[in-house]
Amino acid sequence: MKSYAVKKSDLGKWIDGLIERNEVAAPLKHGNSTDFDLIRSAKEIVWGGPQTVAPPKKYFFLQFEDILSLQPNKIEGLNASAPKTIIGIHPCDLNAVYLMDQVFAEKNRDENYLEKRKKAVLIGVDCLKPCAPESICLRMGGLDPRGRFDLFLTDIVASFFVEVGTPKGEALIREIGRESTAAEAKKLAAVRKKRDQLFNKEQKKLLPKLKELPKLMGKSQNHPEWAARGEKCYSCGSCNAVCPTCYCFDVQDYMHVNLAKGVRQRFWDGCMLDDFAKVASGENFRENRSERLRHRTYRKLHYLFEKWGESYCTGCGRCVKACLTNIVSPLEIANTLFGKGKK
Amino acid sequence: MKTLYTPEIATVTKVVPQTAQETFFEIELSERKTLGHKPGQFVEVSVFGVGEAPISVSSAPAPDNPTFELCVRKVGNVTNALLGMKPGYKVGIRGPFGNGFEVEDFKGKDILFMAAGLGVVPLRSLILEVLNNRKNYGKVTILYGCKTPKEFLFKEEVKAWESRGDVDLHTTVDLGDETWTGNVGVITTLIPKAEIDPAKTQAVIVGPPIVYRFAVKELKARRIPDENIWMSLERKMKCGVGKCGHCQMNQIYVCQDGPVFNYAKVKDIPEAI
Repeated sequence: MKSYAVKKSDLGKWIDGLIERNEVAAPLKHGNSTDFDLIRSAKEIVWGGPQTVAPPKKYFFLQFEDILSLQPNKIEGLNASAPKTIIGIHPCDLNAVYLMDQVFAEKNRDENYLEKRKKAVLIGVDCLKPCAPESICLRMGGLDPRGRFDLFLTDIVASFFVEVGTPKGEALIREIGRESTAAEAKKLAAVRKKRDQLFNKEQKKLLPKLKELPKLMGKSQNHPEWAARGEKCYSCGSCNAVCPTCYCFDVQDYMHVNLAKGVRQRFWDGCMLDDFAKVASGENFRENRSERLRHRTYRKLHYLFEKWGESYCTGCGRCVKACLTNIVSPLEIANTLFGKGKK
Repeated sequence: MKTLYTPEIATVTKVVPQTAQETFFEIELSERKTLGHKPGQFVEVSVFGVGEAPISVSSAPAPDNPTFELCVRKVGNVTNALLGMKPGYKVGIRGPFGNGFEVEDFKGKDILFMAAGLGVVPLRSLILEVLNNRKNYGKVTILYGCKTPKEFLFKEEVKAWESRGDVDLHTTVDLGDETWTGNVGVITTLIPKAEIDPAKTQAVIVGPPIVYRFAVKELKARRIPDENIWMSLERKMKCGVGKCGHCQMNQIYVCQDGPVFNYAKVKDIPEAI
């Protein structure tokens, strides 16, 4: 598809126009960090800031979503709505949304996710400097968005270079953009090259080859590193809560106090929590924290990686930042397993 | 709107208390829809306002029958609420889910059923299917063990199986009482009592997680090959459709690829048994 260029001064006006038409979400200042929320003006957007607290998956796979309306003699499926346009998504999160698309569409299609996802327009923004010291996106393959967006903006100083991922995105950008020139494409390549060098210098190295991770994990089932890290784990589930590719959930019914109506709600769950695999009789199929840490890591670097052909850790660094005891980094775990595995 | 998570409305048509802990239910789907299940599959049962729980179907496949049977132990919120139900009450049903047993794997073979405790509930769906088509199978042996005599389920039915003359049935309890005159010992102590032709026998074990390791060891001692041993594994399940993650053991979603597994296929999966 064609690429476009947009004057920096035009972008804000265009976004304000989008806001007039539909709900638009973007990263806003949130304490010392940022978080996605609805915006009233383009001026509120934090461009190139630290990673948002929660990933954009929260708009398609809600932290809490009513999935069933419960009334006497009337049980009905519910499906919440999502903002139409999400602006300012980092490449790691664009990749993560793509990965979530795969699992929710697989076999039994989860329309509670897919309906919201289908209606949304994703406008990504390229990262030109690491967003946080914890980010490992270059290492985990998350820095290149691989066309997994409707539109993708890169700041090339004089203007924004806009790559188009879908016809839906193209129709939107035609409103303000003109087709990019060869000089602008060259400038984009130069910006990216400089960026890659910077990321390569600043981000922690992954010692094994990325594509070798499933094999490395497969032979590390009984590695002492799991116990060493597991014994420090608080089982708090923070790593699950912030992860852009965690999608486990629990379900609970809630009734209005008059019992005339209620809802069935699904909400994020976490495989690191103590009772995640515990059945009603009391048997817990993943009782130890080290087993749960291994399971979480394997979901990212082994099972789903093997199944879908790419890492389910996109290197956003949120879990590393959220972890209270500094044990969860998929990159550091992989490095340790790799290092000790070498003769 | 109907979604992946919207249950069918069904009616409780029969409630038969079995023991202090377990109750038998017959459930009828609305508009004479049929469940269309295979033996060993399960359904997600909703008690609206309380929640949803995975429950094994206990009746044999019945293509023309809008009713099916469950037997429920009260252990959690949903099962406790179910126990308060009377005929006419409404529940929600999603499913059937899981792979179930393939009867083709058993046709023409001797079958050794091992039911430990509540394991008899899912296993009954296969036992009934086999007994309903008895001529298609070789020797049928049923080993059924419970902790105490009070815990046996389907007592009359088990007696009827025993008196058919074409089923070799042995029962045992871990701990006897004054009424018990039969075998005492865990279920694996029945294995030496069974006549087994290892070349022809398919063994099917269903019981609590602890049973499998010991049962497999005894069956292997009787020279039954790994690929002739079948089991149904229990896990926590919420969605039944391979999304929520609770039932996962290594790469496998038990709600989709199980709960029925061939031992040869799971013996090297570290989290399985």
